[in-house]
Amino acid sequence: MKKTLLIVGILALVAVVYTWSSYNGLVAAREAVTAQWQQVETLYQRRFDLIPNLVASVKGVLNQEQTVFADIANARAKYSGAQSVGDKATAANQVESALSRLLVIVENYPTLKSSETVRDLMTQLEGSENRISVERGRFNESVKTFNTTIKKFPKNIFASLFGFDVIEYFEAQTGAENAPKVDLVQ
Amino acid sequence: MEYEVRSKKKTRAIPWVFFVCVAILSSSFFLPPTSFAYTSPGKPTGLVNDFAGIISSQEIQSIGQKLISLNQTTGAEVVVVTISTIGDDETIESYAEKLFKEWGIGNKETDTGLLLLVAVNDRQMRIETGYGIEGAVTDIQAGNIIRNVMTPAFKEGKYGQGISDAVDALTAIISGSPEAAQYSVEPKSTGSSGWNFQGIFFAFIIVINILSRILGATKSWWLGGILGALAGGIVGIFTGFFPIGIGAIVLLTLFGLLFDFIVSKRPPGSGGGGFWPMVLGGHGGKSGGFGGFGGGSSGGGGSSGRW
Repeated sequence: MKKTLLIVGILALVAVVYTWSSYNGLVAAREAVTAQWQQVETLYQRRFDLIPNLVASVKGVLNQEQTVFADIANARAKYSGAQSVGDKATAANQVESALSRLLVIVENYPTLKSSETVRDLMTQLEGSENRISVERGRFNESVKTFNTTIKKFPKNIFASLFGFDVIEYFEAQTGAENAPKVDLVQ
Repeated sequence: MEYEVRSKKKTRAIPWVFFVCVAILSSSFFLPPTSFAYTSPGKPTGLVNDFAGIISSQEIQSIGQKLISLNQTTGAEVVVVTISTIGDDETIESYAEKLFKEWGIGNKETDTGLLLLVAVNDRQMRIETGYGIEGAVTDIQAGNIIRNVMTPAFKEGKYGQGISDAVDALTAIISGSPEAAQYSVEPKSTGSSGWNFQGIFFAFIIVINILSRILGATKSWWLGGILGALAGGIVGIFTGFFPIGIGAIVLLTLFGLLFDFIVSKRPPGSGGGGFWPMVLGGHGGKSGGFGGFGGGSSGGGGSSGRW
């Protein structure tokens, strides 16, 4: 009798400790995802800080390309108004496509390409774009780790018990991998 | 009677065992697929890794010397890598980021690593900056080095010259920047701290081994308690007896008793390697030569170019 009690007690203790550490592990994994998303948002901000400079230095030459500037301005406005992660991601994707269009246009203007200011701004923007893609890739990795953890047995039991939901991946816009087309004869 | 109860339990247990097995198996099958487009060039052989074979051995020597002295004066870990190709599914940017991550270039705490990557057959190059060195080597500066220093030399096929000049330019930027001072926190700390940890770990294993042989030789288990109490007393002498010393004596006495109890329970002569033989035997040891980098990471900073 005493032995049974002892065994039950030990099992209960093991269960409590396991639940405890599982819960803490899940919290840590979710926080890692949040922190990684903050990193992505910081880089979005950096990109927005760079854009006006580039626009200001090329706008004078690119008179016929007003639609690009309008697109960038619209997407920026949408991003600052966005609340949820999903809305922000969508708006950021729009900024990205408009921006890459602008970069391709600038490449096609020899006068702009040879300007040192424009070239430095382009280098900065390229660096910023690359940083964004790196950190976004890491965001998806941390999401994958988290989602895998909460879907696998036996953590899936604790996850549903404590209300940990699957986090959505950041999906690149369809067609974003294709280089944007620029038609200069408009 | 007893037998009946047991058999009942067994039959009831089977569906559970089955369920658990299915759950474990199915959970490991539905993992999201991972892509393995990146192929590693191999293990680092030093600060200059000429996998493509485009730099002469004298130039490798002299560039390596420059990089070592840059590392000793500023703590910045600049690594040169040449490969023949990045492969079909990678860009020079993504390849550089993955290689940087795989090798862990730069100090783990300060992230002051920098990767200069040249893919000869793709005619592409990249300077990838670690998080901690982004402020010293800006994207613009990296871009300027690629455009004005490396590209002209590479166009003439002078790879070693171009890389050497680029290293000179990087050295000037890194040691001249106002942030250069903060990189010089204990140079070479990465290697020694790793060794220290290993040393402590090994000393611990050896002490446990010796103790288990001595204490295991006697059937009694009071000796472990006495040794534990002595160790606690020594701790107390160094830290003061209240409250740490007293606590150490109590804890270490109990630990010693338990330890001696465990090793004395084992029949003598059964454990060839003493206590924890697996831990000691499992250590493969690092092969000689280059010890690797400090575990730093990058966030996609830097600049790329073609020639």
